[in-house]
Amino acid sequence: MLSAPLVLAASFAYLLMLFGVAHWADRRARAGRSVIGNAWVYTLSMGVYCTAWTYFGSIGRAASSGLWFLPIYLGPTLAMLLAGSLLRKMIRIARTYRITSIADFIASRYGKSRTLAALVTLIALVGILPYVALQLKAIASGLTVLTGTHGGSGPWWSDSTLYIALALAGFTVAFGTRHLDTSERHEGMVAAIAFESVVKLLAFLAIGMFVCWGLFDGPGDIFARAAAQPALSGLSGLGGESKFAGGQWFALTLLAMLSVIFLPRQFQVMVVENVDERHVQRATWAFPAYLLLINLFVLPIALGGLLHFGVGGADPETFVLSLPLANGQSLLALVAFIGGLSAATGMVIVEAIAVSTMVSNDLVMPLLLRLRHRASSDLSGVPLAVRRVVIVALLLLGYLYFRVAGEAYALVSIGLISFAAVAQFAPALLGGMYWKGGTRAGALAGLLAGFALWSWTLLLPSIAKSGWLAIGFLTDGPFGIALLRPEQLLGLSGLDSLTHALLWSLLANAGLYVAVSLARAPSAREATQALLFVDVFQRSAGAPVFWRGRARLAELQQLATRFLGAEPAQRLFADYARRAGLAGVERIAPDAQLVQHVETQLAGAIGSASARAVMASVVEEEPLAPEDILRMLDEASQVRALNRQLESLDRLKDDFMSSVTHELRTPLTSIRAFAELMRDDPEMATEQRQQFLGLVVGEAERLSRLVNQVLDMAKIESGHAEWRNDQIDLCELIAHAVQTTAEVFRERGAVVSVQQPESVPTLHADRDRLLQVLLNLLSNAAKFVPAGSGRVEVRLTVDARAAQVEVADNGPGVPVDQQQLVFEKFRQGGDAANRPQGTGLGLPISRQIVEHFGGRMWLRSEPGRGACFAFELPWTRQQEETGA
Amino acid sequence: MSERLRNQRLLALFAAGWGLLNFPLLTLWDRAGTLAGIPLLPLALFGGWALLIGLAAWVAEAPGDE
Repeated sequence: MLSAPLVLAASFAYLLMLFGVAHWADRRARAGRSVIGNAWVYTLSMGVYCTAWTYFGSIGRAASSGLWFLPIYLGPTLAMLLAGSLLRKMIRIARTYRITSIADFIASRYGKSRTLAALVTLIALVGILPYVALQLKAIASGLTVLTGTHGGSGPWWSDSTLYIALALAGFTVAFGTRHLDTSERHEGMVAAIAFESVVKLLAFLAIGMFVCWGLFDGPGDIFARAAAQPALSGLSGLGGESKFAGGQWFALTLLAMLSVIFLPRQFQVMVVENVDERHVQRATWAFPAYLLLINLFVLPIALGGLLHFGVGGADPETFVLSLPLANGQSLLALVAFIGGLSAATGMVIVEAIAVSTMVSNDLVMPLLLRLRHRASSDLSGVPLAVRRVVIVALLLLGYLYFRVAGEAYALVSIGLISFAAVAQFAPALLGGMYWKGGTRAGALAGLLAGFALWSWTLLLPSIAKSGWLAIGFLTDGPFGIALLRPEQLLGLSGLDSLTHALLWSLLANAGLYVAVSLARAPSAREATQALLFVDVFQRSAGAPVFWRGRARLAELQQLATRFLGAEPAQRLFADYARRAGLAGVERIAPDAQLVQHVETQLAGAIGSASARAVMASVVEEEPLAPEDILRMLDEASQVRALNRQLESLDRLKDDFMSSVTHELRTPLTSIRAFAELMRDDPEMATEQRQQFLGLVVGEAERLSRLVNQVLDMAKIESGHAEWRNDQIDLCELIAHAVQTTAEVFRERGAVVSVQQPESVPTLHADRDRLLQVLLNLLSNAAKFVPAGSGRVEVRLTVDARAAQVEVADNGPGVPVDQQQLVFEKFRQGGDAANRPQGTGLGLPISRQIVEHFGGRMWLRSEPGRGACFAFELPWTRQQEETGA
Repeated sequence: MSERLRNQRLLALFAAGWGLLNFPLLTLWDRAGTLAGIPLLPLALFGGWALLIGLAAWVAEAPGDE
């Protein structure tokens, strides 16, 4: 035995340490060096799943039924494998729409329904309160075992459990209600929870090792001795193939799988407090690994305790305390108690924050708003105050519950009843995330049915079994109607009560959810919310705003001030104006975008359902019809498409700029190099000087050609080029072009031949531009034909539709992979080593010109067999133009 | 590895986990006999569980092309 003051002093010292950790983390966060922005801390904070129920209750369960404690941890392991898709989607939705609780999540999905939010909150509250009481009970029984005095029996003011509960309320108020905006993270609280997860794991492992190797000769020894006792040998098995209740194992796994996502505290740490979506990846395996570690010694401790004390010798749920105590290891017992304390306090703290947010936003605020509907009083302090009151009230209620009913249940059954309550959220929430057809009425019907059946088949029987209700309705049914017996509803028997309850409640819940949802089409508001939730990954950028109506800036400002306080409201509008690039707050247009922005900000403080209601009270809204939604979606997707186009244009412009500067630099560099050479060597031979000057002039010419072409290109592309409409004789034009380039071909020793029909119709186009195209193709050919043996053919063919001009050379040709590239800006043919001088703009400009006149330009080439550039110009376009 | 493939692999592990750690495959191990002093069933349950976690870690931590 340990003295009570010592144990209490250690407990409060531990709580003080929690304050210290939380305070430290909060200070670090304010200094910009957050400690929770880390996948490991995120994983550890999920460990809040393991409560006193795990710490003490699992061993109790193992001592009575062997491996049946495991499905509660296998379920979360399986659930985490889906986290990569499911949890990330929840996080994205919650972050995008500032959702801060599971009630808010469900209500928001079904059109921001206040009724739904209130119902979910009620279910959570009823389901969770016994669970909180259970934690306090665990602390009290731990104290009893350690100190030998009975915890919950004296007058209430002398009960140390009460003071621990109050200290927890103090902690939760201090670190859980820092910000009005609940979508802001509680850094200190999360750090403390992660710390608690480490403490309870280490303490439990320490006890496990002590039992395995301190009291026995390793786990093998424990199992061997247990196997020798008929009463214990069954505990390391499932009771044989014939007796294994596979359905129950399945149900427990499923239940735990749903709970790990839908328990308010899990939602809080996994979704609301998540810093970075990518942390989910680590948690996918690391959280299951944590669960495995904390369960590793459960069976050995249970069997060891039973071997040590004999069956019925001591309460198995406190083996972690009684085993070290009975063997004179009082310090280890104290460590074990602190571990249990950390498991209990972690759960209570997070659950209190989560439930207080729900109760405040979805039960209390709507009532307050109704009472003070017209008053324009400042409400900015109210949500925080309400949350604080709710936290203290929740802890006190939990304490009261434990004092009144605490002795009635075993730890495990309370936990499972809570799990079954929150599992009722599954159809509405999962359905809402993946199915657009779910409606508010469907969700309400499903939740109500599930909750009613849960109460009837699970809650009431457990109350009756603890002697608070006449047991008659259990055995004979209400009013003697045997079909309605809670644990054999409609005569369904052969299942344990939990599986039975889960089957009926989830069946009715999911069935009604789907059936009622399908009974009528979703309303406009439901449909828009469904879209925003189900397609959240497609809509994070350029999300459509489903709102139409009239709002006034002053009223929105007043509303924000009323709920957020003067300074935060001012900041909100100033930020909005800055992001929109406006000169000042007064310039903001009170459009749908702004209304939605303010509403989302309010949602962070008072929940989305309340935010919707207060927003509706100050703005004039027009109801949306389904066609409007389709149109708005359409607009949003057009905006997205335009945005994408702009982005790619922007990138093209950047590429263009960098190419242009690169092309300008090359001739500039050589001009400068030759000029410097001549400056530094006044004695240079005239001959060489002449040669250098010739190069400088050539480079300067190339430079001006390049600048002209860039300007030309820019003009054509921007549509500012001037186009003349000349009457062109193509034969004459080709002859002119060949003549102009004759000197170049003569220098290369190449022969140019022209083939053309007898008579060619008149073409209407810009003569100078077409000449430019021809000259370009010819000079290109001149560059690539082999020196001395070049042959270039220009062929003109006409048909009824178009004229076609081909310029074929006998050069090296263009490799297949480069044939498309030659028409891109600054892409020159040939490899870098023997690329002829050119600007890389000739072909792109030519193609633009041809396309301007409704024609097309292409390249046909087989490597080694020459290249043939061709373009065709239709007659029809000109006829249209002249006709117009 | 693309996120899509990663999620599909995790989904496959999920299905495998349901099968391995559930009725009726679990009853395969519910028989007499020990390995290193540990009865077969607890060993199989924790071993299968650890294997699942190991595979999940391998899939989840593989470098992605995000």
